[in-house]
Parts: sequence; C-alpha cells; structure tokens
Amino acid sequence: MSAIAAGPGDQLKPKIVATGLEKRYCSARGGETVAVMGVELSICAGEFVCLVGPSGCGKTTLIQMMCGFEPPSAGRVLIDGEPIQGPNPDHIMIFQDYGLFPWRTVLGNVVFGLEALGMSTPEAKARAHETLQLVGLSAAAHQHPHQISSGMKQRVAIARALAVEPSVLFMDEPFAALDAFTRLRLQDEILRLWEVKRTTVVFVTHDLDEAIALAQRVVLMASSPGRIQRVMTIGLPYPRERTHTDFSEYRRELFEAFHLLHATAANSAV
Amino acid sequence: MWHRLGHWLLPVLILVAFGGVWQLIALFYPPALFPGPTATIEALIEVAINGTLWSNTWISLVRFFTGYGLALLIAIPLGLLFGCVGFLRRLFDPLIQVLRPISPIAWSPLAVLWFGIGSAPAIYIIFLACFFPMLLTTITAVKSVPAVYLKVARNFGVGSGMTVLLVILPAAFPGIMSGLHIAVGTGWIHLVAGEMLGAQSGLGYMIVDARNFLRTDMIMAGMLVIGVLGLGIYRGMRALEDLIGRQWGIGV
Repeated sequence: MSAIAAGPGDQLKPKIVATGLEKRYCSARGGETVAVMGVELSICAGEFVCLVGPSGCGKTTLIQMMCGFEPPSAGRVLIDGEPIQGPNPDHIMIFQDYGLFPWRTVLGNVVFGLEALGMSTPEAKARAHETLQLVGLSAAAHQHPHQISSGMKQRVAIARALAVEPSVLFMDEPFAALDAFTRLRLQDEILRLWEVKRTTVVFVTHDLDEAIALAQRVVLMASSPGRIQRVMTIGLPYPRERTHTDFSEYRRELFEAFHLLHATAANSAV
Repeated sequence: MWHRLGHWLLPVLILVAFGGVWQLIALFYPPALFPGPTATIEALIEVAINGTLWSNTWISLVRFFTGYGLALLIAIPLGLLFGCVGFLRRLFDPLIQVLRPISPIAWSPLAVLWFGIGSAPAIYIIFLACFFPMLLTTITAVKSVPAVYLKVARNFGVGSGMTVLLVILPAAFPGIMSGLHIAVGTGWIHLVAGEMLGAQSGLGYMIVDARNFLRTDMIMAGMLVIGVLGLGIYRGMRALEDLIGRQWGIGV
C-alpha cells in the first residue's frame, strides 16, 4: 500500500499554496488575538485534504482565508498561482447551515449560481437538473428547502456548488449538524462526487473518523495560537472500511496526536 | 364537530352578547346621550339609503390607500438602504428616534397650515402613521438577513445591486410584510384624526358632522363602519401574509 498513490486525483501540481499565513483580530478591549499564525500549506490539484482540530484552533479562519472571505493579516494564499483577492465562483464554499434560499425551490437554488454566472435560464435549468440527478435529488427539484430533510438540504448546497464546476470545493464542517447515519451516507456521497468530478476538496471537520474516512491528507491543527501541528497522510485505498484494522491504526495515531488516549490505552502496545 | 362549531359560533355569540349588554345599558340613558345598537343600525340604514355612507367610505379608503402607498414607496427603499449600509443607519438613527415617538396627531396643526383643508392633511397624517412602522421593520428585517445568504451571493459572484434584488429583498420580505401589516393598523386608526382636520367628506368627517348636529346615533354608526372596515383590511392583509409565508416556507 503506497502512501502517495492514495487517491484518483493525486497529481503533484500544487493547486493551493499558503505561505506565512496569519490572522489577527483586534479585541474590543484593544488587545490583539492571534487566530492563526505561520501557516505553510500546499495542496495538490484534485487532492482531498481535511483540516482537523479542536474548536478555537483556527481551522474555520484558515478555510475562510483560503476561500477569500477573510483577508489575511500577513502572508498570502495562491490558487493556480494567483493571489486570492476575494470569493470567486471557481472556489465554492459549502457551509454547515447550507445557505439555501428558502424562497426558492431546490431547482431554483441550483439555478441561482448558474444565472449569477450569466447563463440563460433554459440552459441553467437543464444544467441544474443534470446536477440534481448527480446528487440523487431529481425527485425533489420542485420542493422548497423547508420540505426536505437536513441531509437533502446539504446535498442541494453541494449540487448548487458543483453545477458551476468549481476547481476547488471548500467545505466548512458541512456535516456537523447532521445525525450520525446521514453523516456517514453523505461522506460516501462526497467521495463518490469527488471521484467523478476530480475537484480539489478542502474539508474542515472536528470529527476525527470523518477526516480518516475522507482525506488523502489530514492537517492537524492546535490552538492558542491557531497553527498547523502536523500533516498526516492517510494511505488507505478508497472506499475505506471504517471497521477495518488499518482504519483503527490511523484512528489511534490521530487520537494520540491530540492527546485523547487514556493513560492505560496509551501504554499498551497495539 | 363541537370544536368546529365553537370556532365560529362562540366569537359570534360574544358579539351578540356585547350588542345585548350595549342595548341594556342604553335603556337607562336618553338616546341622544347613549344610543343603543338599534338606533345605530337605523342611522346606518339612513346613510346607506341617502348614499352618504358609500361616498364617505370610498373617499376614506382612497385617502387611506394613498397615504399608505406613499409611505410604502418611500419607507421600503429607505429601509433597504439603511438596512444595507450600516454607516448611513448610524448617521440617521438619532433623527429617526426623535421623529418616531411624535404622535401623528401632534402634526395636525402644522398639517393644516401646510396643506390647507381637505384630503391632503388627512393623507399626510396617515402617511406619518404608516411611515415609521414600515421603515423600522424594514431596517430590522434587512439587518437580520442571515450572513450566510450574503456569503453565498458573494461566492457566486453576484454584484451588490443584484444581491439586494435577488437575496436581501426576498430574504427580508416576511419581515417587511409584518411592517406593512402593523402599518395598516396604525394608519387606519389615524384616518379619523386626519379627516377631522376640516375635511368635507370621509368617515371621520361623517363623525364630526354628526357631532355638530348632535346625532350621537350617527357618531356610533360611523365608528361601527370604521371598526368593520378595519377588520376587513386587517383580515385581507393577514391572508396575504399567510400566502407569502407559505411561499417562503416559513410560518407554516
């Protein structure tokens, strides 16, 4: 099992390069908080990378800077060699709370992104139908978001993003609000879509199992100040069996890295 | 079955009981001082037959919807502007907060001075009564548009003008609608006050005119018409709000 040939889209061309990335906030009392500092990260085209860490480690700040929603205080992010100036339809962010427009139907939500790019309505509708079929939501096309389940809502948000064919998908804890069963189904779903589309995916999560199941590389972050602690390559072939012993070994390694093992378990050999 | 019946029947029974109590009290006073429901209905039939009821109701509705419509045309765009641009909102907030608590009725001497007598001061009073509820609810509705909607619009490259049209306006619509709803109430309440400023027509004038002739039964008839019409407009507004709520997927 080779650690490098882990995924289908594993090319060595750098897609996203972050250098000396730093974010400071001025607090109300005049002091300064360092949210993220000294981030050096290079992500290959077509790679699936997870950012993992406890709350307050700056993983959301980092992904917001990479997507262009937050300007960095120092350092820069390059995507395809171009510095990021702001959000861009080529790099779509998926949010935990979906960001679906409740007054539009499922189809209307997907059409929104396409029409924003200047596509004509009939063309946008045709493309939206195709994308909804890809995520298995054709039957719900004419329903409103309040009529469908949370898992379906997130699939609509994913369809809305994929419809505009972005080269990077940023996902900020997209499945954190879903129940365990739906979360597992959507993890498989996003892997399937990733293999079809070969999009570069940067995925923030605090769920260690989710990171091992999805990522080719897991970026472990630590807090105060938020920084990258370690980058771990997950050399497991897809589809990954969550109950397999190899999976458990990575699990143990991640737990160890975050000091989550109990004293007795840490001492015993695997 | 009983539940359904109670739903309609009980409120009607309460109205009937109210009429009964009213009639009972009226027995103890001279009709010129405290007319009962029968005297009021008789007065109502009288103006219905001679036609003044219809012409006065019509002119009152025209004035109401003119004032209301003007307030809507100015307050909604202004509310969108203040809601979107925090800088302008902070700039104008003290001014709004000073003008808002002044009762529209306090403006009435000036309204007559500026606009003379007739429809204009009445429309102005109704406009003022509708304007501030509309403006403030629109600002609040725009401010409470979830940030994630705006992020999505930015991410897909939607410009600021189109964001207002395609995202902020529809997202704030239910909130704006509740402002329009409140304004119907306050505007209608101030209709009578506006029409007491020397207007020669309208439901408010009907009451003033009846007072000059000591026709207390006619005063009550005017009040009754205003109440019933108010209920009708309010119900119509609520039906519209429910319809939009269903469309927006909220309040169901």
